[in-house]
Amino acid sequence: MPHKLSVLMLSWEYPPRVIGGISPHIYFLSKHLAKQDVKVYVVTCDFPGAPAHEVIDGVEVYRIDSYKNPSPDFATWVYLMNMNMQRETAALMKKISSKIDVIHAHDWLVADAGIGLKHIFRKPLLVTMHSTEMGRRDGLHTTAEKMIHETEAWLTYEAWKVICCSDYMINHVKYVFGLPNDKMVMVPNGVNPQNYDVDVPSDFRGKFALPEEKIVLYVGRLVYEKGIHILINAVPKILSEVNAKFIIVGSGYMKEQLLNIVRSMGLEHKVLFEGFMDEATLFRLQKCADVSVVPSLFEPFGIVALEAMAAKSPVVASDTGGLSEIIEHDKTGVKVYSNNPDSLAWGITKVLKDEAYAKYLRENAYRRVQEKYDWAKIAQDTKRIYEGVLGEYSKSFWA
Amino acid sequence: MRAIVFSWEYPPRVVGQLAEYVKALATGLAANKVDVNVVTYDDRLMGETQEPSGVKTARVTNPVKTHIGVLTWVLTLNQEVERAAANIYYSSGKKIDLINVFDWHFIPAAVALKNGLGIPFVYSVESLEDHRSPTANSSYNLAIKSIEWLGFYEAQSVTVKSEWMKEEVARIYQVPAEKISVIPTNMDSGKNGFLKVYSTVAEAKKNAT
Repeated sequence: MPHKLSVLMLSWEYPPRVIGGISPHIYFLSKHLAKQDVKVYVVTCDFPGAPAHEVIDGVEVYRIDSYKNPSPDFATWVYLMNMNMQRETAALMKKISSKIDVIHAHDWLVADAGIGLKHIFRKPLLVTMHSTEMGRRDGLHTTAEKMIHETEAWLTYEAWKVICCSDYMINHVKYVFGLPNDKMVMVPNGVNPQNYDVDVPSDFRGKFALPEEKIVLYVGRLVYEKGIHILINAVPKILSEVNAKFIIVGSGYMKEQLLNIVRSMGLEHKVLFEGFMDEATLFRLQKCADVSVVPSLFEPFGIVALEAMAAKSPVVASDTGGLSEIIEHDKTGVKVYSNNPDSLAWGITKVLKDEAYAKYLRENAYRRVQEKYDWAKIAQDTKRIYEGVLGEYSKSFWA
Repeated sequence: MRAIVFSWEYPPRVVGQLAEYVKALATGLAANKVDVNVVTYDDRLMGETQEPSGVKTARVTNPVKTHIGVLTWVLTLNQEVERAAANIYYSSGKKIDLINVFDWHFIPAAVALKNGLGIPFVYSVESLEDHRSPTANSSYNLAIKSIEWLGFYEAQSVTVKSEWMKEEVARIYQVPAEKISVIPTNMDSGKNGFLKVYSTVAEAKKNAT
């Protein structure tokens, strides 16, 4: 039987452990790699009630003891967890060593384990940088932030290839770690259009808006970098042109402040703060939205724009970061000036007032999602990267 | 017999008395036909050298220079220790009989190498966190204790310098007495103690494979 390409995927989260975007990313990437005939071993942190080993959609999932003694702080815990991850993964790899071709680490959270295992087994290491400490914190201000930044630099140094999910992130990562061009590969993040194959009950829309009101949807944390305050500032201008209901999903430290602004404008009946929302309700709401707004000031990728596109909701997004690449202006969505309420109001009004235009955008956007952000295609690209690395590796003295 | 010795201090980098002790041991073992490879940390003297005694040394540095504490410093340094040890392992045709790790700092590396490559290790106790910080029970101290515990659990054999320490290791970490050897601090007789422990561990490894 011919040898099957096999990858060891290291991630600090995998469902049912979901903290950020890496967990669903690993889930879909692994599942679709398995469909492309790649043997995938995911090693991740344990989770109450989840088994230490199971096979999910053809993917071998191993959950390690994630170091549960008290830790001095989050970063120290990460390194202690990596000690355990490395110990358990080393034992696993010893059993299946001849079968592992490449190690694929995701973010600094598994840097130690990825680097250590690379050298112990002399296997090529790849890393996906989903974000950077410098981007998250808008600079490096503390000792802990510098330490994490240097750990990221070390990880990208040790990696054979560094994968980022947008051209914007490629440039950012290349710049902050001083990496050579030929080490960088762009593979976009994916979205699962099947999420939106759900029926919307006839009384669903009425729970959020009056029949004559258009639905303007925002999904995201209520934090500065997401630009939600820009949308709130644009509300009066939009209402002067169209009758609409603004639905804000998500929470964050800016919530009180935003509520106060809405109250002072006397628009509490037009802006609903829904807080955190379960997925089933959210998917339906995204399908109902007459426009989805992504007013971010900083955005490495912008998955929420992609989700709206998959839900066939027209998108208005600020022209920044990964959003600039996801949205093609006047074709798959409307791009507006970042940090500019007037420009945002213009974009939203344009979509809401012209139904034929909105239909044109959503059809183009949905097609783009299927062409470019489909997990099957992303897995195919990733597999090709593995094969390329293996080809180079086979000529090295480690092989 | 080929051994790798892990110590976080080794001359000329001297922090406490462990550096000179490990040097005397390595020299003594080299004179007794052991291929000794010391892996240690030094920011100024990096890379590999061979001493006149025949002892080979590999000095690594930490790729992450900024740290919030000793723990994060130690834990990132361990990957470089692994890299140095793996280089010795592969360049010797995968023929390493054992690793001898001194104190807790490089236990994570020894444990990963044991589990990954099947190299057994001897844990030599210089001191214990319980004695160094007798009243401290912060999460920081607990983490060091958990690393010491891991070392005792995973080690093929444990060496200590006194009967008292043997009792303490057994008392604090519930290590079975037959796993612990007391080796005199005087290296003239001490090296024979280590040689004996090494041959037992190497013999057990041979029989297991």
